Amino acid sequence: MVICIPRFNVYIPKDVSDALNALSQRKDLIPMGGGSDLLVLIRSGIVKADTVLDLWPLRKELAYIKRENGTVRIGALTTVSELCESDLIKDVRYAGLADVCKKFSTPFIRNIATVGGNVGAAHPLSDIALMLLVLNGKVKLLSKNGEREVNIAKFFKGKRRTVRNHDEIIAEVSFTETPPNSSTAFIKFDRRWGHAMGYVLVGAYMQLRDNIIKDVRIAFDSTGNPYPERVWTTEEFLKGKEFSDELIKQALNNVLPKEMKRITDYRASAEYRLDLSKVLLRRALLKIKSRIEGGG
Amino acid sequence: MSVIPREEWDKYPDIEITLNVNGKDYKVKVKPYERLLDVLRYKLGFTGVKEGCGRGECGACVVLMDGKLVPSCLVLAVRANGSKVLTVEGLAPEGKLHAIQKALLDTYAVQCGFCFPGVILAIKALLDRNPNPTDEEIKDALSGQLCRCGSYLRFIKAVKLAAQYIREGKEYFDESGARG
Amino acid sequence: MSELPEYVRIVEEIFDKYKDKEFLYVGKRIQRWDAVEKIKGRVLFTADFAKYYRNAVFVYSVRTKYAHAKIKSIDISEAQRYPGVLRVITAKDIPGVNDVGYVIPDQPLLVSDKARYIGDIVALIVAEDPNVAKEAGELIKVDYEKLPVITDPLQVIDLRTLKEKEHPLIHEERGSDVVAHFKIRKGDVRKAFDEADVVVEGEYSTPFQEHAYMEPEAAIALPEADGGVTIIATTQCPFDVRKAVAKVLGVTQNKVRVIVPAVGGGFGGKEDVANELGAKAALAALMTGRPAVVIHSREESMIGHSKRHPMKAWYRHAAKRDGTLLGVEANIVFDTGAYASLGPFVAWRATVHATGPYRVEAARVDTLSVYTNNVYAGAFRGFGCPQVTFAIESQMDALAEELGMDPVDLRLKNILREGDRTVHGQLLTRDHGVGLEEAILKAVETSRWYEKRKLFSKQVGTLRKGIGIALLWHGNSIGVEGADYSSATLIINRDGSITFRVGLIDMGQGSQWGMVLIASEILGVPPSYFRVEQPDTAATPDSGPTVASRSTVMGGAAVVNAAYKLRQRLNKVASTLLGCDPDDVEIKAPDVYCRSNPEKKVSWSDVVEQSFWLGIPLQEFGYFRAPPAEWDEETGQGAPYITYTFGAIIAEVTVDLETGGVKVDRMVTAYDIGKVINRVGAELHAEGGAIQGLGYALMEEVVHNKDAYVMNANLSTYYIPTIHDVPDEIIPIFVEAKYRRGPFGAKGLGEPSINGIAPAIVNAVSHATGLRFHSIPLTPEKIYMALKKAGKTLF
Ligand SMILES: Cc1cc2nc3c(=O)[nH]c(=O)nc-3n(C[C@H](O)[C@H](O)[C@H](O)COP(=O)(O)OP(=O)(O)OC[C@H]3O[C@@H](n4cnc5c(N)ncnc54)[C@H](O)[C@@H]3O)c2cc1C
Ligand code: FES
Ligand code: FES
Repeated sequence: MVICIPRFNVYIPKDVSDALNALSQRKDLIPMGGGSDLLVLIRSGIVKADTVLDLWPLRKELAYIKRENGTVRIGALTTVSELCESDLIKDVRYAGLADVCKKFSTPFIRNIATVGGNVGAAHPLSDIALMLLVLNGKVKLLSKNGEREVNIAKFFKGKRRTVRNHDEIIAEVSFTETPPNSSTAFIKFDRRWGHAMGYVLVGAYMQLRDNIIKDVRIAFDSTGNPYPERVWTTEEFLKGKEFSDELIKQALNNVLPKEMKRITDYRASAEYRLDLSKVLLRRALLKIKSRIEGGG
Repeated sequence: MSVIPREEWDKYPDIEITLNVNGKDYKVKVKPYERLLDVLRYKLGFTGVKEGCGRGECGACVVLMDGKLVPSCLVLAVRANGSKVLTVEGLAPEGKLHAIQKALLDTYAVQCGFCFPGVILAIKALLDRNPNPTDEEIKDALSGQLCRCGSYLRFIKAVKLAAQYIREGKEYFDESGARG
Repeated sequence: MSELPEYVRIVEEIFDKYKDKEFLYVGKRIQRWDAVEKIKGRVLFTADFAKYYRNAVFVYSVRTKYAHAKIKSIDISEAQRYPGVLRVITAKDIPGVNDVGYVIPDQPLLVSDKARYIGDIVALIVAEDPNVAKEAGELIKVDYEKLPVITDPLQVIDLRTLKEKEHPLIHEERGSDVVAHFKIRKGDVRKAFDEADVVVEGEYSTPFQEHAYMEPEAAIALPEADGGVTIIATTQCPFDVRKAVAKVLGVTQNKVRVIVPAVGGGFGGKEDVANELGAKAALAALMTGRPAVVIHSREESMIGHSKRHPMKAWYRHAAKRDGTLLGVEANIVFDTGAYASLGPFVAWRATVHATGPYRVEAARVDTLSVYTNNVYAGAFRGFGCPQVTFAIESQMDALAEELGMDPVDLRLKNILREGDRTVHGQLLTRDHGVGLEEAILKAVETSRWYEKRKLFSKQVGTLRKGIGIALLWHGNSIGVEGADYSSATLIINRDGSITFRVGLIDMGQGSQWGMVLIASEILGVPPSYFRVEQPDTAATPDSGPTVASRSTVMGGAAVVNAAYKLRQRLNKVASTLLGCDPDDVEIKAPDVYCRSNPEKKVSWSDVVEQSFWLGIPLQEFGYFRAPPAEWDEETGQGAPYITYTFGAIIAEVTVDLETGGVKVDRMVTAYDIGKVINRVGAELHAEGGAIQGLGYALMEEVVHNKDAYVMNANLSTYYIPTIHDVPDEIIPIFVEAKYRRGPFGAKGLGEPSINGIAPAIVNAVSHATGLRFHSIPLTPEKIYMALKKAGKTLF
């Protein structure tokens, strides 16, 4: 009321079908999860909103963490805090999500930020989206006309742009439970230790058997495009080989730089970001190895 | 942008919401774009809730909404409809200080005090679920509470002292006894 | 001695009298008067008052689109017609003088012909709904002619020759974009360098720093019947706001009343911007006849108020093989942004301190302050000293390395001690209080310097520890920057309670409390009897600006005067009641008795009541004025400050060699602040200054792009330290080398608490990495890149 912010209207749906109906009828509706991203964008004038569709009432249906039939399903309106308080992140395989919980913004943002919103934000510095990439996650989109699932690796189209159609909402993200001798890690680094955005974010998943890398998936906040992406060639290079410091060094020095293009902006230079990507990836892989081997 | 014609002047309707703030019920008319922060401060007069950034970056505006710490600058008032809100004003009864407040006094942490309402509620949110936090847990819980005067080290001491008071069953203290 | 003014004699008398006495309140930990109210959330800050004004109007500032442009025309017609808009105000509507410049009149409140930085305001929109005001703001049509933008002060001045370069003038009306030039000329500099065994040279740079006080700027103006206005504002200088607003409105100063409620941090940033806010609110209030509210958003605050001046400096030190300093040369350029603000004074203070707290026989210093199109720079805790201290203390470490000496030993060899002369020729006597050596020795001992210095030199592995030191000094109060006076009022009410008024404000630092403790000590009345009234130009006396670490020293000296006089009168009254000599009277409220016969007592309220009936006035106005400073413009010789605060900072860090990340583990801060008055306040300053200095050292920087837009005008991209970033421990040590003309011997600490932090941390990083650094903030990237260049990284 006293600080000048752009005005907008809000539509408050009764339930999922009401929300989908509204979306199908009005082109100007912008869905809002927690609003931690959207409200700041509206305030800054980056997003011009006529009417916001408040998805919060949908939490009755879309806030959950389910593990059934070998699949983990997280409702889009689950808050980051709920995810962080769940048993899921105590599973050593998903220790990378526990890493996220330590580094994701601040407690009060975690209380409103949703998992769906993190994916919907389509921003490079999206911690959960990054981890979903390495967990081979899927995004479930719902519209009045039905539902579809999109692999998260195919979900982003640009900065703040996704394949979601206007009349769809993100209803759920899911991933297949990973095998027992696997784990994950997430590292964010910036000049400030608390409440950091990250010069570089890295997430990784690895499965080791007899010290052989059976499977590995790695994602960075950016590899050239303004949204998080996997480094497929580096993954391929590592797969099937014996885990060793030498191998990792080779991957970092000879493979990663070929598929990663970093930018220079006022926060950091491309050269530093690339070097930091290497350092952090190495640390992430070592962390995962020690997690698999019971080192926590 | 073009001029909004008179007839569209009311395109942002008043919406009546109910809020329970610090144990008391309120009915209040809000605009769809209004923030919980503004309603608490300017419509209901709870100016213990501060605005430091309006962008979720400083922690000055946090309140407990249905027991959860939220930035009231990023919560629309319409979303708070029907919820229970606790602000610093409601933490302790008239004439009393909550153990958290007493501990912050005992550690002489107060400087300008602008960050304190937020800090106090963040500590409350922490101690409500973790009565005996470690240094690291305290830092995590207060990581969003910016204090430019730099009382951070005292916050850590105060949280431990408050936890001790509460463990000893001393949740409230007389306000008058705490004055210098 | 007899020509000394009475107010100085009183301060000296009190100093001598209390020199060896046990103190009851001074120097003790006593809860500040407003702590409970603050902690209960009951204290009102400026913006909070808006809740009381139901028919208020809001003022939105329409700012320029370009940082440097000619304004050919401003069309407000469409905005004026926007539903809900009450008034649009542009430069031509200003009844008085369109200027809010602080030191020189170079800063229009509303620009009409030229914009010089992105915060310049072209129009004010007044509406009942602030959101409407903002929307209407987009309808203001300005016809701009873009001009080339200057963001680097070295586009204006050459650092080596100090000559102004050919460039498009930002202030054509002045004919030059050099705002100020200060000098020190001492001894034979050429000879010093010719005869030196070693010379070290370096170029240093420091960033724009943002105050980032948690409370953004705000002002509320209420129209008064006589055409005047009452303003509630968050400011450090109520009397300056009054002056500035009166000038803009074209009314006499007595028609403008400024009230300062609780202030949520200032650090120097709430000086001139408050003039702007006060004037904006006042104009709107008078033009609409309604209360007018101005509250800056955080984004607006960050582009619209002054910053710490960035510095570019070239330094050269000459020394003998044994470490004796022979000479110092420095070229220092300050970027004052689009307007002078307090820039000239900042440059002057920097010049005075430019050679550090050392004996220097030969020096040449030139400090220039220049305009650019960046956000304007002004006062910020330290006021020019943190910048030069970073350069000097980096140079000292470089010198120690060159000489193969321990950095502490090198410093001990050269520091100022009692009986020495400063670089300006000022003789430091016992009366000044010179406790630098003691501060160093205590810091060294507490931090186990020598042991750790050795131990850390032998590390291997990714994480390396380092320990570094920096010294600092800080001239107290304002020196030649202005008339250095202060005043305070003490009123003993009929019931024995006491009203305390001073025009110096509390922005969190608690200095008003220090003044109360002084009055308590002298009157013999506990602090709980006092009520601190908030500064109000209609009630509190003009005590000068709340700047320059002057509150305790200057305000405190005024309080000493008031309390002294009251005490004399009270003693007389009590002596008649008790039947002993006035000098024998002891007041320990609620009891009053004679030292010779403590059994016989009367009560404090009896003495007060008796004074009332006897017609003895129980209110007193205390005044103090610092002896005039001396400064020769051409040589920088004289006695620039009344006295100096000294300090030694030791920082311990851990550096991650793979990422360049730094964690500050521990800090020992030893300050000679004379007599410690408000112990809690002093400790909080040591901690708070250290944390703000840590931000300055490692993370803080306002970044302008090439068009002079601020890239990081918010608190997630402008980093300030969080609770995760602070050291595990900050150990404050106070050394009390007393200043005879300060209250009980006190000196100031407000600003010096940041001066030495950054160089101590940077020197510690150097120790950990074996590399020297020349620019702050020392980000992980800068450290990493230096390590990479030196072949010390992993990949
Ligand atoms: C101070 C601060 C710090 C932050 N720090 C971090 C951080 O450390 N790490 C991090 O990853 N992020 C961070 N963020 C960004 C943001 O909080 C997260 O991206 C968050 O997960 C967004 O969730 P939300 O529910 O608030 O999204 P919203 O703001 O509600 O929405 C974000 C976007 O997704 C769309 N959207 C949201 N939900 C749906 C849905 N169900 N269906 C369709 N579209 C939808 C919206 O239209 C919008 O475009 C920070 C934000 C702030 C303000
Ligand atoms: S005002 Fe809400 S977090 Fe800063
Ligand atoms: S006490 Fe001033 S911001 Fe925390």
